[in-house]
Amino acid sequence: MDKDILQVKDLVKYFPVRKFGKKQYVKAVDGLNFSIKDGEIFGVLGESGCGKTTLGRVINRLEHEQSGTIEFMGGTISGKEYRKDRHFRRRMQMIFQNPYDSFDPRVIIYRSMDLPMKINAVESDGRKRLERIIETMNHAKLTPAESLLTRYPHELSGGQLQRISIIRSMLLNPKFIIADECVSMLDVSVRAGVLNLLLTIQKELKSSMLFITHDISVATYLCQRIMVLYAGKIMEIASSDDILKNPLHPYSKALVSYSPTISKEEKMRYTITGEVVTPIDPPPGCRFASRCPIAKEECTEREPELRYIAKDRQVACHFV
Amino acid sequence: MPLLQMKNVNINYRLKNRQVRAVRDFTLDINEGDIVGVIGESGSGKSTLAHGLMRILPGNGYLEASTITLNGKDILNISDSEFRKLRWVEMSIVFQKAMSALSPVHKIFGQMYDAILAHKPETGKEEAIKKLEKLLAVVNLPRKALDMYPHELSGGMMQRVMISLGLIFNPKLVILDEVTTALDVITQGQLLDEIKRLVKEFGLTVMMITHDIGVVNELCTKIAILYAGELLEYGDVKDVIFKPLNPYTKALVESHPDLNPHGGGLRGIPGTLPDLSNPPEGCIFYDRCTCRLDRCREEKPGLRDFNNRKVKCFKAGEFNG
Repeated sequence: MDKDILQVKDLVKYFPVRKFGKKQYVKAVDGLNFSIKDGEIFGVLGESGCGKTTLGRVINRLEHEQSGTIEFMGGTISGKEYRKDRHFRRRMQMIFQNPYDSFDPRVIIYRSMDLPMKINAVESDGRKRLERIIETMNHAKLTPAESLLTRYPHELSGGQLQRISIIRSMLLNPKFIIADECVSMLDVSVRAGVLNLLLTIQKELKSSMLFITHDISVATYLCQRIMVLYAGKIMEIASSDDILKNPLHPYSKALVSYSPTISKEEKMRYTITGEVVTPIDPPPGCRFASRCPIAKEECTEREPELRYIAKDRQVACHFV
Repeated sequence: MPLLQMKNVNINYRLKNRQVRAVRDFTLDINEGDIVGVIGESGSGKSTLAHGLMRILPGNGYLEASTITLNGKDILNISDSEFRKLRWVEMSIVFQKAMSALSPVHKIFGQMYDAILAHKPETGKEEAIKKLEKLLAVVNLPRKALDMYPHELSGGMMQRVMISLGLIFNPKLVILDEVTTALDVITQGQLLDEIKRLVKEFGLTVMMITHDIGVVNELCTKIAILYAGELLEYGDVKDVIFKPLNPYTKALVESHPDLNPHGGGLRGIPGTLPDLSNPPEGCIFYDRCTCRLDRCREEKPGLRDFNNRKVKCFKAGEFNG
């Protein structure tokens, strides 16, 4: 359990933008260091523009990093190294936010489910593949499987389709799953079902997961550890409990206090001002300094390092 | 007397070969000073209801009701031109997508001035500027926002512009249609705080349409639970959320992941919405209900009063919330 399945070192991804003819960079992911343990659900929490989706895409090799290394199951996958591993796609799968966009609208569900297994040569016999698909769908209580499989994506509801998308990613028995905001488009009553399905399957396969979300309540429900990102930098890494009950970084504090909850008591706000700024050539120092209520001169001059406060608990702030 | 009185509101959409009955038999009184959260999942008819009240339904939608009164005045049987006079002046609406509600090619000032001219054509430019400056200050926007284009503003700022636009004529009733849905957590929280303050300052009555119970819990005083076009429960926020009388309300609260978990994990509600072009005869929630009775299938429960609340369920009261 304590072995790391994924190790990310100094990961950097910039996107060039042109502003008035001048070339600048959006520093979407700027020097991330973290590791994910085997069998763990690791949450990435942040607002829009913090680089959480970019991070997921870089790890899954849909984008290429500027620098830094990613180690996955003992081997390197950064750069073009992942191509040497023939089973890479089988080991790492991704679930996307919008299920309607992640299925080919012109083929029936069966084809979309069958193809990955065929390509990855999990099973050469077509009939056995179909049996496997139906079995998994029944297991996930998506019934009647046969009738669902012959439909087109637009004939299904978002919740059904997202569940099928989850099952599809599981058919290859991946060791590692990246779920990018996979429940944010669903209704509350449906969302609970999808989250529970994700949990059961993850437990059965004993796989690890990188769960990307902006919703702190979903993150704490699902994840063992949570990493809080802000403008491409890690602010805090801690267990879900710690993030929720005792956040240390001012940004985590604000996030928790501004999240709407169902509770009887009035919550105290940890007030911060302003809005997220896209990190285009950001000034030196802490990225959060301009909005931070406890920022001092030091914060705009020197960037705080991500340091260990306790075992399994890292914070990037001068004053913690 | 309630500020907004709705009785037996029905809203239908005509389609090629059938009719979708999006809102059915909706009866609700909103008192002055209330902040009413209207909660529903997608397809529950919550936005349709808001659009119906403002008479901005799409061409194939039409509204039928026995009465709708605003401040004692009948607003159901008046002509469109009469309605146009009170729209925005006495009730206004703020939409979900500020980005698409504002024109991308005009500056903020022009768009807000347009709204003023539409109702008070005699207003001069100087006067409008003065008024708008004050209004922007109220929602914590800098003065220079007036000279900006929508794309220069962030999502939260645009939504603030929309809210101040809704407040131009100091209306009694403001309908907020999913105003915070597209925003980030912190921006959403800041906006909710702002709305709370505005309600006090302007003496507003608000109908807040949303799908997030957490938001309603933080902002609203009353809550109305909508499911597949029907009102299932209405009452004080804390009562309804913590002691639900209707099984749907209970299931909805339990499927909401929360920072203070209610124990036992998430439950979710299996099944899907009934077909609204042919709604079932009995209780609308029958198919997905866990404590249904046989009579629920054939007989429709009426909306009845129950300890200061309204609820639609035969088992309300015996059913342990």
